[in-house]
Amino acid sequence: MTDPTSLPWPAGPHLRPGEVSDGDLLARTAGGDTAAFSALYDRVTPWVFGLVRRILRNPAQSEEVTQEVMIDIWRTATRYDPDRGSPHSWILTIAHRRAVDRVRSEQSSADRTELIGARSAEVDFDQVADTVSTRLEGEQVRRCLDTLTDLQRESITLAYYNGYTYPEVAQRLDAKLPTIKARMRDGLIRLRDCLGTTGGRTS
Amino acid sequence: MTEPDVHTLTGPYVLDALPEDERALFEAHLAECAFCTTEVAELREAAIKLATQVSTPPPPALKTNVLAAIDHVRQVPPLVPGQSDVPARRKFSRRSVLALAAAALAVASAGGIAIDQYRDRNAAIEANRQVAAVLSQPDARAVRGPVSGGGQATVVMSPSADAAVVVLRDLPALPADRTWQLWMIDPSKTAHSVGLAAGDETQVLNGSVTGMIAFGLTIEPTGGSAKPTEPAAATIPMT
Repeated sequence: MTDPTSLPWPAGPHLRPGEVSDGDLLARTAGGDTAAFSALYDRVTPWVFGLVRRILRNPAQSEEVTQEVMIDIWRTATRYDPDRGSPHSWILTIAHRRAVDRVRSEQSSADRTELIGARSAEVDFDQVADTVSTRLEGEQVRRCLDTLTDLQRESITLAYYNGYTYPEVAQRLDAKLPTIKARMRDGLIRLRDCLGTTGGRTS
Repeated sequence: MTEPDVHTLTGPYVLDALPEDERALFEAHLAECAFCTTEVAELREAAIKLATQVSTPPPPALKTNVLAAIDHVRQVPPLVPGQSDVPARRKFSRRSVLALAAAALAVASAGGIAIDQYRDRNAAIEANRQVAAVLSQPDARAVRGPVSGGGQATVVMSPSADAAVVVLRDLPALPADRTWQLWMIDPSKTAHSVGLAAGDETQVLNGSVTGMIAFGLTIEPTGGSAKPTEPAAATIPMT
């Protein structure tokens, strides 16, 4: 599986000697250590909140969902299995799904369509990146996104950032269902390979 | 697994872009597909990088709220390695498919990682084979509707394969002398029986799907009826 040290994420976990990894913090959280949870909270919540807010856009709902997610991390830390992915993958998977479920239950597709127009390609770059490594990683991700075809990139970002289902994405992009399913997968594979290569990752 | 097409669902799955019913069915498949499980883990690591683009510090008060809240939140017990969430030695039944799908949903909605340790191999393999066969069809699509009295019926169908998966969920309990009966309605509005169900079940239908205009569900005397004797509890257009 993935060697976590080869994935500079987030804010460069090039651990200095004695520095605690996120995996360690999560393991201690699973043991009921609230101080470890507090430290983990500080590290991961900007990613959770940023992602949730991007999907929901409503600030009050975003705070509510972020709170639910972080409480869930505490509650289910005992079930985290390192063999199935990194701590960030686990945490952001929970956050993404929560936000998507919420946006689908509360906002109609039409609402989201209108908001997208207003928002278009606006990505909150300015709010990112108070560290060099975060900025560098952001650039790396953008560079890799640029290697995708338009259809791959649009399929992935409409689903990931806006919470659209693949049939909704297909409708918006005027493409066939099997095409969109396939572009989501081969686009992610290309993204994985692009990001993984520079990370020196083997899998 | 040998159905190449169902594997493309790893993409939409990782992006949380599968509609709810397809998500449940794919998670049932995932539980036994090692290839898919590995790919999902890898693609997730790539997908979450998209979150780096939008990182935003939350309001400081949020942390106070969260730390106060966890004082009252008990942590779930860890899963014991090898522990099964479904009884061992249970023979395959169509109900097992639903058990897998429902367990996957329960885990997902509890915020845990989407797949978890269920290991009823025989049931899962057979369930996956049937579900995957329908899901892997390029024209597979889902329709759903409410059941009067409560619950929901979902039909994932592939007209080209003349097959469908029917998922009945949260149905009300029936008297002992009654059964649910599943129907396919043809263009002349004639109902063709396609099976019986005791309650929440997942059934795979092979045949009697292509060309049908609607799925119907009625409550009938035990043993079923040759044609519907009561008004439909659910009618779901398929065209």
